[in-house]
Amino acid sequence: MTDRAKSTLLITMFGLTVLTALVMPWLGHHLPSWDVIFRPRADDIDAIIFWQIRVPRVLLSLLAGAGLSLGGVVFQALFRNPLATPFTLGVASGASLGVTIAMVTGIHFSLLGLSGTSLAAFSGAILSIALVYGIARASGKLSPTTMLLGGVAISFFFSSLILLLQYLGDAGSSFRILHWLMGDISRASMDSVLQLAPFIISGILITSLLHRELNLLSITDDIAASRGVHVDRTRLLLFFAVSLMVAGIITVCGPIGFVGIMAPHICRILIGANHRFLIPASLLFGATFLTLCDTLARSITSSAEVPVGIITAILGGPFFLWLLLSKNRSLP
Amino acid sequence: MQIEPTPIIQASGLKLRIGSTQLLDDAGLAISAGERLAIVGPNGAGKTTLIRCLLGLTHPDSGSILLNGYPLAQLKPAELARQISYVPQQLAERISFTAMEFISMSRYAYGGGGGFKQVDSEGLKATQQAIELTGIEHLSHQALSTMSGGERQKVSIAAALAQQAPTLILDEPSAHLDPKQRDIIHCLLVKIAREQNITLIVITHDLNWASSDFDRVIGMKDGQTLIDAQADKFMQQETLMEIFDADWLLHPHPESGRPMVLPRQSLKA
Repeated sequence: MTDRAKSTLLITMFGLTVLTALVMPWLGHHLPSWDVIFRPRADDIDAIIFWQIRVPRVLLSLLAGAGLSLGGVVFQALFRNPLATPFTLGVASGASLGVTIAMVTGIHFSLLGLSGTSLAAFSGAILSIALVYGIARASGKLSPTTMLLGGVAISFFFSSLILLLQYLGDAGSSFRILHWLMGDISRASMDSVLQLAPFIISGILITSLLHRELNLLSITDDIAASRGVHVDRTRLLLFFAVSLMVAGIITVCGPIGFVGIMAPHICRILIGANHRFLIPASLLFGATFLTLCDTLARSITSSAEVPVGIITAILGGPFFLWLLLSKNRSLP
Repeated sequence: MQIEPTPIIQASGLKLRIGSTQLLDDAGLAISAGERLAIVGPNGAGKTTLIRCLLGLTHPDSGSILLNGYPLAQLKPAELARQISYVPQQLAERISFTAMEFISMSRYAYGGGGGFKQVDSEGLKATQQAIELTGIEHLSHQALSTMSGGERQKVSIAAALAQQAPTLILDEPSAHLDPKQRDIIHCLLVKIAREQNITLIVITHDLNWASSDFDRVIGMKDGQTLIDAQADKFMQQETLMEIFDADWLLHPHPESGRPMVLPRQSLKA
């Protein structure tokens, strides 16, 4: 595929993302009329649903989808492991443990407009980032394998603590924890969009500026270093930028699985491994995919919403396998 | 009186210990511009560790490495990359970049590809030139993952050349290749080094190649650079015995007259 064809594909993907952003707020159990949305009366429930629920929800899923997908791209390159996800280094389990502790102990507080749950999630995520970094530092050098294994060990440890707390807790808090763990965008508001946006934007900026470093790091550390990359410094910068971004997403939306591992692979099949194209492609694909999944999640049943994490896996899994198999068949 | 040229790389007294293993034990070398140097020795002698130190990939516990008279440790990675380029033993099969993409990545140390761009026009020129020098025009848009070992190794050499560093270090560049591909890579390397006046440091197990195409050979054993001699002086029974603890036959090459090693028939009896 030539660079020109890749650029065309990117423009098409951008068009689809814009279309998704414009159309999805209109979809749901009920299609509102144009007049009601743009010339609403004060108490028009359709207008309130549109502007205060659906629009923030679409914006939030665009941001979260883009961020999770980008996290996958960066971690898969940084750790040269196709199974690395934004959650591999324990960020999600750290956040989940924070939320579990907050829910089981029933602590209610808020700070700077953030709820206790959000603060607990964010603190847990930061704790796990610091632990993984500390483990890698203590081992002498920042090898990707040490960081990966450290992250996996912390994930398991935290997950066991979560299970223990759930086991000891009452049924009500256990259910709320379970629901949070499935990932959910239904709590979206304009405030949460504004809280998350700086995390995502700074993550996108940093990774986009480092696309050449990511290409080299995805080969080997030795190649990257011998080509002039400051390997440890670059890896740390990317690790912290992406982990913070993912911590932000989990704090607002819970740990939505699947997007972070599959979206980068799908984009690699579509547009190749060069991060110059892979980063924008993954951002657009992740944003569009999560938004479509969330629209389905809130429309599929009329009684209750399905957590979006379930939809992403049910839809994304077969699509990915189909793409993988059809691609392999076309190889010589 | 002959004036000794100033060495571009001068390493001395290098020591490195990891755990209970003494990887380097007073190792060193000096090389002048345009020279071709082969490093030989048994497995585990410390050859790779020594060149990793020269590349700034491994830091010795003690000793000094000077590059054009400046301490190597004080150079930024990009400054070092503009002086020394590197070809590893082999590139992983999983790399799905095209040859063109991979080679142009070597221009990183020159900046120029800021923002969304991959390389600037100068980088593109260097990339094209490296592709022509190695004769891989037909591979330039092919993914590395679909190439043979020999093709991948040519791409790897082209990538190092695109870095336009005066010194090129290679770690067993033909270890995984069949005999014909091995000859092709050997000829290509020596031809390019001569034409472009590139200083060459190569680790190899191919003593006959070291004998025929290199100015000097360094023999390593147990982390020490034991012998540093002209290629024909190195190829002597006692020297080979000292480094490899092996008794080989030496016979002049029918065409070049350079000494070649041959296994003894009597060992098989």
